[in-house]
Amino acid sequence: MSVSHDTGASGAQRLGGFIASYSVVITFLAICLFFAVASPTFLTGANLYNVLVNNVVMLAIVALGLTIVISSGGIDLSVGVSVDMASMVFVMLLAAGYGGVFGVTVGLLAAVAVGVLNAILITRLKISPFLATLGVLFIGQSTQQLATSGGQPIYLITGYAGDQFNAIARTALLGVPTPVLVLIACIVVVYLLLHRSVFGRAVQAMGAQPGVAWYSGLAVPRQQSLVYIGCALLCGITGILLSATVKSYVPLSGNAFLLDAIGATFIGTTLSAERRPTVVGTLLGVLLLAVVKNGLLLIGWNFYWQQVGIGVLVFLVLAVSFGLRRARQ
Amino acid sequence: MTAQPAAAQIAISMTGISKRFGPVQALHDADLEVARGTIHGLVGQNGAGKSTIIKVLAGILKPDSGTISVNGETVGNLTPSSVERLGVHFIHQDRLLVPTATVGEAVFLRHELGFGPFVSRRSMNRRAAELLKRYFDLELPVGILVQDLTTAQQKIVQITRALAQKASVLVLDEPTAALVKREVDSLFAVLRRLRDDGIAVIFISHYMQEIEQLCDRVTVMRNGTDVGTVDPAQTPIDEIIAMMIARDVGEMFPKRSVEIGAPMLEVSHLGMAGSFEDISFSVRRGEIVGLTGLLGSGAKEIVQCLFGLDRAERGSVKVEGKTLSLSSPVHAVQGGIAMLPEDRRAHGVAIDLSVRENISLASLGRYSGSGFVKRRQENQAIDGLIRELSIKTPGRDTLVRQLSGGNQQKVAIAKWLSCQSRVYILDEPTVAVDVGAKVEIYNLLNRLAGEGAAILMLSSDLLELVGVCDRVLVVYRGRLAGEFSGAELDGDRLLAASSGARIAKAEAFS
Repeated sequence: MSVSHDTGASGAQRLGGFIASYSVVITFLAICLFFAVASPTFLTGANLYNVLVNNVVMLAIVALGLTIVISSGGIDLSVGVSVDMASMVFVMLLAAGYGGVFGVTVGLLAAVAVGVLNAILITRLKISPFLATLGVLFIGQSTQQLATSGGQPIYLITGYAGDQFNAIARTALLGVPTPVLVLIACIVVVYLLLHRSVFGRAVQAMGAQPGVAWYSGLAVPRQQSLVYIGCALLCGITGILLSATVKSYVPLSGNAFLLDAIGATFIGTTLSAERRPTVVGTLLGVLLLAVVKNGLLLIGWNFYWQQVGIGVLVFLVLAVSFGLRRARQ
Repeated sequence: MTAQPAAAQIAISMTGISKRFGPVQALHDADLEVARGTIHGLVGQNGAGKSTIIKVLAGILKPDSGTISVNGETVGNLTPSSVERLGVHFIHQDRLLVPTATVGEAVFLRHELGFGPFVSRRSMNRRAAELLKRYFDLELPVGILVQDLTTAQQKIVQITRALAQKASVLVLDEPTAALVKREVDSLFAVLRRLRDDGIAVIFISHYMQEIEQLCDRVTVMRNGTDVGTVDPAQTPIDEIIAMMIARDVGEMFPKRSVEIGAPMLEVSHLGMAGSFEDISFSVRRGEIVGLTGLLGSGAKEIVQCLFGLDRAERGSVKVEGKTLSLSSPVHAVQGGIAMLPEDRRAHGVAIDLSVRENISLASLGRYSGSGFVKRRQENQAIDGLIRELSIKTPGRDTLVRQLSGGNQQKVAIAKWLSCQSRVYILDEPTVAVDVGAKVEIYNLLNRLAGEGAAILMLSSDLLELVGVCDRVLVVYRGRLAGEFSGAELDGDRLLAASSGARIAKAEAFS
């Protein structure tokens, strides 16, 4: 992918370029090292398992969805609504005694419905993605509150529903937890779609210059619809995993993913010479955020300070990467 | 100032400027000297170093070596704002005004009028109106927004901004690119008046006629250095072009002989209310047909409809005998039509994508199986096209942003070659392309026609139409007003037909 422009660059320049391109990787390793030294629990199997299953998987799947959307030059502020809709419908159906497979299917369809709504607003009514998905975010939040008498959570800890949840969140294949398997499947699919398929090319072209995509005979509205529907579907998968993990539906809980997922995607763009979102970059961004949250918790920082830590970190990665790159030009 | 009288006449003096970007020596020991009270042209092919030397002067790029003096004082370490304080102002090619600002706000941007921290929009608008009236005799509605101005008026507002800040040097980069003839004339009148007031004007343009009409001196650049400064009134244009390209101008329009075959593109009774009516013509295999008309004549709209960008209300279009749906470019491309749009950066190439991604964009189906791109096949095809069109790029993965305008245009053409399109619609294909690249594009069109493509070229460059086309159709007020070919195809007839003069008999003109 990347181009080597600097044939005559000095050693220091080349080192600068290396740091600029891999600032996320370097920061990630440095932070892991720091926490490994600072906290004896950080590198234990139990902790890493917890980080992976509880912090990484769900955020990563939402971030993969946003990676597609941001690649296409758009934004989806309603990812939380898609997560919540899947979760709500799934949990309500289980509570009403429907089967797990049926619940998952209809739950995912509920998320897809959010994506279809976004797609219609953006491609038919030509509303900008930011405003369209912002509107859907507001509508989605109210819908949940109306459906749950003002935002009452639904807990289904035991019995039939509990078993269904456990079948998703507490099982493993060859020692790999099911949620991690789901994540791997999502990574493979999104990677192939975005970086290897014809659809991915169209998405990148739309993101780079929509007029050129249209003048090249690409069916831009259709591709754009698929982008938002695909993102919503991925968010729906997260919604199902979320319900199964916490054995409940808590209204508006999906919003927590939005900013982290956007952050992870943009941190990930520093990995590509063209500043484009990539699947690998996004995953690194997610790992970075998850490790920092977990590590700060382990060394005793409270929740509020975690946010400060993450903010500083985002600036650091972006500043190092952009600064070094500019200095080289 | 205590400088000698001769030096006092010099507004800008740049000597021995060099600038290197990685392996590319963009400027090599280039000199530029501009006297007060003159209009000084700067010409050269894309990549000759014109924009680089201007960016150095603007403080956007730091030169590796060389000295710059402004009004006799040597200045080091220029920055965009320090340059403005020295009285050197730049009118860049792209509109650099805030579209939602009022004219007053635009004129006093960064030098707002008002009391302390408060800005008085009213006094800015009033003062701006005074300045516009005084300098340009231009009366605009008070409080009108920049976005409601014509491009020419926006240029004038930019110039007014410079004058309001006591500019002594004005640099205009391709100022006429988006203007119609009448606007160009009024801009030129303005520039001449500024020159007579003692301001030094640096004028960068691709259009030789403009240089000849307007400039007192012209500096020609080639390969990163100045190859000469001449008086355009005493130097034939051919000679100036020869300095730019170091090549004979006679080769500009290459000759060709192509067998013309069956009709490929057939347009019948095409109509769109308010734009054009009853347009019928055909373009045959191996033929290059020109289409021309003044702004608003409908020529542009016809081309837009043929590619499905606008919807025609009546009529039909056939490609190789098959009727096309004209509802979107998707159908046009599937039907074998290629479009080279006028606005290259908005519609032709995506500058942030690589050469490879751009070229294969319209033909991904050819390089893919079950939805996935076959990279090896794609790479081979792209490398082949890069060689075939001699696109100057370090490699297929270089971003198009890094290529010169002419090479970007070749990438846009390669996209359709890769698609194996049969009908090519070209909308001003050589706009903002330097002379050398123009010749290459003409050669390419000839080759395409030779290989059996049908080409429809919309152009307002009459020389180009006469030099390249087999036939030229003229649109006047939404109707085909004439068709010229062979001996009847000359600039005077095209001009007469586009402006509505009656063409009675060929003898009347010869």
